[in-house]
Amino acid sequence: MLIDRRFFASFDWSLFILIFLIPCFGLIVLYSAGYDPDRTYFKISWLGDGIHSLAFIKQSLFLLSGFLVLMLGLVIPTSWLYRYSYLFYGFCVLLLFAVLLFGTVSNGSRRWLNFGVFNLQPSEFVKLAVILASARYLSKNSPQEGGYALWELLPLALLIGIPMLLIARQPDLGTALSVGAVGAFLILFIGVRLKAIFTLLGVIVAGAVPAWTLLHDYQKRRILTLFNPEADPLGSGYHVIQSKIAVGSGNIFGKGFLNGTQSQLEFLPEHTTDFVFSVLAEEWGFVGCAFILSLYCLLFMKILRVVLKSKDIFSALVAFGIGSQIFFHTMVNIGMVIGILPVVGIPLPLFSYGGSSVFSVLFSLGIVLGISVRRWVHIRGT
Amino acid sequence: MIIRQSSSTLNVLFRVRVALGVLLVAFLLLGVRLWYLQVLKGHYFRVRSENNLLRTVYVSPPRGLILDRNGTVLAANRPAYDIEFVAEDCPNPKKTMADLAQIVGQPAEELIAKLGEQKRRRFEPKVILADVSADVLARVAAQRYRLPGVILNVVATRKYVFSDFAAHTLGYIREVTREQLDNPQFVSYMPGDLVGQFGLESRWENFLRGDRGIHTLVVNAAGVKISERSYKQELIGHNLSLTIDATVQAAADKALAGRRGAIVALDPRNGEVLAISSGPSFDPNIFAREVPVDIWRDLVNGVDKKMNNRAIQGTYAPGSVFKIVTAVAALSEGVIGPEERINCPGFYMFGSRPFRCHKSSGHGLVNLQSAMAQSCDVYFYTVGQRLGVDRIHDYAKRFGLGMLTGIELADERVGIVPSTEWKRNYFKREEDKKWYPGETLSVAIGQGAVTLTPLQIARAVSVLVNGGRLFRPNLISRIESNYGGYRDQDFGKEPFVDQEFDARVIGLVRDSLVSVVNHASGTGHKAQLKPELNIVVAGKTGTAQVASIAREGNDEALKDHAWFAGYAPAQNPEIVVVALLENAGHGGAVAAPVVKAVMEAYFTRNGQPAQTTQESIRVAQSSVVKEVTNAH
Repeated sequence: MLIDRRFFASFDWSLFILIFLIPCFGLIVLYSAGYDPDRTYFKISWLGDGIHSLAFIKQSLFLLSGFLVLMLGLVIPTSWLYRYSYLFYGFCVLLLFAVLLFGTVSNGSRRWLNFGVFNLQPSEFVKLAVILASARYLSKNSPQEGGYALWELLPLALLIGIPMLLIARQPDLGTALSVGAVGAFLILFIGVRLKAIFTLLGVIVAGAVPAWTLLHDYQKRRILTLFNPEADPLGSGYHVIQSKIAVGSGNIFGKGFLNGTQSQLEFLPEHTTDFVFSVLAEEWGFVGCAFILSLYCLLFMKILRVVLKSKDIFSALVAFGIGSQIFFHTMVNIGMVIGILPVVGIPLPLFSYGGSSVFSVLFSLGIVLGISVRRWVHIRGT
Repeated sequence: MIIRQSSSTLNVLFRVRVALGVLLVAFLLLGVRLWYLQVLKGHYFRVRSENNLLRTVYVSPPRGLILDRNGTVLAANRPAYDIEFVAEDCPNPKKTMADLAQIVGQPAEELIAKLGEQKRRRFEPKVILADVSADVLARVAAQRYRLPGVILNVVATRKYVFSDFAAHTLGYIREVTREQLDNPQFVSYMPGDLVGQFGLESRWENFLRGDRGIHTLVVNAAGVKISERSYKQELIGHNLSLTIDATVQAAADKALAGRRGAIVALDPRNGEVLAISSGPSFDPNIFAREVPVDIWRDLVNGVDKKMNNRAIQGTYAPGSVFKIVTAVAALSEGVIGPEERINCPGFYMFGSRPFRCHKSSGHGLVNLQSAMAQSCDVYFYTVGQRLGVDRIHDYAKRFGLGMLTGIELADERVGIVPSTEWKRNYFKREEDKKWYPGETLSVAIGQGAVTLTPLQIARAVSVLVNGGRLFRPNLISRIESNYGGYRDQDFGKEPFVDQEFDARVIGLVRDSLVSVVNHASGTGHKAQLKPELNIVVAGKTGTAQVASIAREGNDEALKDHAWFAGYAPAQNPEIVVVALLENAGHGGAVAAPVVKAVMEAYFTRNGQPAQTTQESIRVAQSSVVKEVTNAH
């Protein structure tokens, strides 16, 4: 009974259209970001011209296959997610250990497992595994009136903390932070006693000092440049400065499609991936940004609606976890691009070029769509 | 087990509302920040993005030529090869510099130091070695495959065609100094620009330099040129035509070669400078490359002070040449008649003190003509005493002596023509302020406090022979644009001051100067031109004492300065030549032959304009015509 009449009747079309629309606008921006007038990658005979952007073509293919992955997430029964969540979590943690031991190094960090034919980045799965495992734990151990006490959070802290540390060791600070942040969102959503929150905040502040010493130099620089990017305009501040120039120079209506000088002349680094939002801001201006941001905002509001309508706490927590995951990435990415958050290598969900990001985000959103479809289904525990 | 549904312990609606609030606040924050960047500071960032992609490249135009009066090119431009370095094309600049240093045979640290900090414009070539020799150029070119980022560039550099020819007049160009860049006068200059630093190169810098071309390029982040947004064509500098006659100047330079002295040749009719030479000279071409410190020191402060332009900066006792002024004053003031004879026993008793004549046996009875011809000191002591110093001073001033001539060369010196008033003002101590009548005798024969420049004397002789017109010596005949148009009216027509002289007196003095050169007893007969020219020279010798006769010895520095100031043809003068040779001995023996050589060069010169110049001007003009037709 995976699919029946009620599936289509209750399918959340408006959420699906949002999930479809945002990457479509993303493709337009990516066409410009990857634009190379001297090269034609795909000839269109009746047009007498062709497609001049490799990123556009590859991202289109990623998205096409990505919607198959979304379907996959959609059809997996929520009960399965519940049942296998700990198993999946354990498997992922093992993969993280394997990465630290056998992973391939690129750009100074060890993030990939090489299986000969393909490379696997376990941290992409870990994000989902942590959400599922935390949701299961939280739904099973609902707090007393007034929320969790601090000691009740200890198992959860381990559940989230272990993969976080393993990812931080790779090192991949952005992903580690996002795992931690999503864990925190989930706990806050369930409810924590105020006393516990303040105690935790105290621990975090106290822990920040030793943690600072553990950070790599490049990570420290990124945080410091946030406060004063002009101090090192050609070194660690370069990304932020060029990105702010791109965004700011877009003015209200933008420089126009393919006319963004910052991206076309390559002053803007990583303009197809982490800094794709700058390209949007430069070429489409404040108007374009406001439009795309409203689409994102609508998307998250729809996800919150799914949370609200969920018939059980596990589903609600999974949907909320996935929503906050994507929300966190969106905020951190755009915050970095407009110079209010440090530069961490987090792509903009549904917009940035890249297969891993497309697949993991669409799979997660598939799960959310599935939850919205199966509002009437109660999950049976094992 | 069935998972508990949302219950009273978990108020989902409340929590979703809180989450919604957080969501909306977060997006509002992004929106506000975007508004700030894109709207409030939009203009600022738009300008910064323009600055990112626009690069201004300046093109230095060829400097204007300097030509002589007949079109012979004196200062031209030649290609110089610079070894430059583009940082962005090189993975390891220090290693490349070390390799380059080995190839050119220079210490690696020196070359590395020239890299400097150039993060901002890494695409921009930086000059490492300027104007390298053909040998170095060949070696570097052959090894370029292992010198990433090293490029060879051709730039236009000054070429002084005849090396040390008229060096003090032409001057030289050199990189603009840090001090100059701080000076508002040099506001349009950029570091590395070449600037006329001396002589006419400096005086006429604004015309010679031309206008730099400005190209605005669109570049990408790697500094690669994508397109050109705008450009302003560079304009070649104006050509400067001098009044100098290369033939005469060459003769003067040759006569001086290696000797300390100066030669000035003027056209007395209009004040044009035909030649102005100072020795020892220097080769201005050396300033194109970096000048080694020891050579620089020698030029400025060496024994010979080569950078001194002795023609305008050397002030010397004029010696007997000054007797021309004394004679004009004496006849004009009527203190002596033209035929009045004075006995010269070889000395003149002034009180109890004898003033010696240069001929110790005496000249016997002399009148103006024979006194001038033989340069009898006693005759001039006598008339000098009758005149008094102030009247001598007044006449000297009417000849423009002890005054700046106003020639367009920097740091001209004024010299001294003493008077009682001068002495009162010049000295501080009361006992020094008094004028002693004995001093007048020295002044009358051009000794004592009198010091003048060779150019002043040449102008004074011109005043004598041109009917009393005191002019500003002129060096520029024409300033010509390569794009049509010229200005020449401003230069030749300096306002002359017409001095009133008694024509009869001038005639008498000029007659006496003819006999200096042409009379059997004259002191200046070595200035006679070769007979086939059939041109009569007139003039006056001078032998200026540096030390008193008593102390005369073999010391080179104490030997007399030799003068000769002459003009020709004697009846209708076209040229005045003054020669001064420091510590060279008797004017008649040493300076007169020099004047003769310069005059002979003048009277045998070939006045045809040089073909090359006309050709180069024509070519430059034709390129402009093309520019104009394109524009239409």
